[in-house]
Amino acid sequence: MTATSLLNISGVSRQRAGRAAVSDLSLILNRGQVLGLLGVNGAGKSTTLAMLAGALRPDRGSILLDGQDFVASPELARQTIGWLPEAAPLWPELSVDEHLMGFATLRGMTRRDARRATDAIVERLQLGELRRRLAGVLSQGQRQRLGLACALVHDPALLILDEPANALDPVQVGELRKLVRERAAAGCGVILSTHVLGEVTAVCDRVAILHEGRLRHDAALRDDADGHILESTFFAIATGASAA
Amino acid sequence: MSIRAVTRLELRRLLVRPMAWALAALAIAWLAWTYVLSLGNFLNVQVKLAALADAPGFTDLVSVPLLAELIKLAFLVVPLLTMSLLAGERRAGTLPLLASTGIAPWKLIVGKYLAVLAWLAVWLIATLAMPLVLAGSTSPDWGKLAAATLGTALTLATLAAIGIACSAATGYPAIAAALALIVTLLLWTVDRGAQAAGVSGGFLEWLTMSTHLQNLLRGLVTSPDLIWFALAIALPLILAARRLSADRERH
Repeated sequence: MTATSLLNISGVSRQRAGRAAVSDLSLILNRGQVLGLLGVNGAGKSTTLAMLAGALRPDRGSILLDGQDFVASPELARQTIGWLPEAAPLWPELSVDEHLMGFATLRGMTRRDARRATDAIVERLQLGELRRRLAGVLSQGQRQRLGLACALVHDPALLILDEPANALDPVQVGELRKLVRERAAAGCGVILSTHVLGEVTAVCDRVAILHEGRLRHDAALRDDADGHILESTFFAIATGASAA
Repeated sequence: MSIRAVTRLELRRLLVRPMAWALAALAIAWLAWTYVLSLGNFLNVQVKLAALADAPGFTDLVSVPLLAELIKLAFLVVPLLTMSLLAGERRAGTLPLLASTGIAPWKLIVGKYLAVLAWLAVWLIATLAMPLVLAGSTSPDWGKLAAATLGTALTLATLAAIGIACSAATGYPAIAAALALIVTLLLWTVDRGAQAAGVSGGFLEWLTMSTHLQNLLRGLVTSPDLIWFALAIALPLILAARRLSADRERH
């Protein structure tokens, strides 16, 4: 399983602001799998995602991406990983088109390929009307969609989404779910961090729950279509009622 | 490839920033005014100069002082231009996003640095164009002008490198600008104390930027001066790259 897994996290720890933000985290993600990452505020979700995106280096442990040491070679992120951080940080003075072209070329695409990829993602995320608009004047939901497009423009094998449904309307949330399943069907591994339990049951194959920086639960969702088991497990962990 | 992508993105951002255009317009307007005044003075003293055996010419009295004026302006303008390059990214949360593209910190620094250099090169060319339009009707000292241009270009490159290093050091663009200005002024005047004490030729004199720039403005190109500028450009850029690498460890 390890040899074929897309992502293999083993014993990863990271201190932030003098406390253990993530402790001894181990996880495996296979291609085509959607993993929901749950936890209360401060549980270590964003720190975990930042490490997986290559923006933070773990203090300890190993992260193997397609079998290669990602901690030692963060440049592996270039073509393999797409990351939508929380609140989708963007450059307000650049247009939607310039963002997508910029990210595509930063990810190593030629100008011609970047143009083609930009056109494709604009069409897929229905950003056509916004192409020439500056990011600084977009609504929060439009910014979120642009952030998602930037994460997807280079067709990454691993997609990391931190609260992707923030500020999206119900129609857009439905589109997002469809897109995530579409990416997974195409063989992409997806990690989706959210506070919304319904989001996880609707779109994920597996769920991992972090609490106080530690992995407290990691299980498949196949027998929990209505999310009752997940809900009780989550609340038990979050309120300290579980000794898991 | 990735350096070019960073440079292109940063240039695009500079081109749409009102601040960059406002600074460029004000600087060029000030230099044009200075040029007109210098030219007037030069024309007024031409008769007197004609009587002197080894009189200074158009290059000494108009072109080189114009480049020296550009450098004076750059002390203030370059820190304002570079202050947001990394401090602004850090503040907006886009720096981790850039780090996640897998681009090495040194490539990010060099890419941004080249974008600033391209912008400053346009300023230098616009400034040089003023005396060059009269090249046909004057007798420029091409060697001296080339050396002074090299000195100006190296000084601008040094100021840009210092600006980027200061921008990498903080998350506040205003602090980055103030820091760059202080570092630049220190580097410019570090030997003042030694001079006042009557000491010359020591380490402090070597450390001072003006020592090396004055030689080039006088038309003297020497290896020690070029090496000083190379070090003064490389050191801040290395520090900036190290600071960005440390971001992945610290935050």
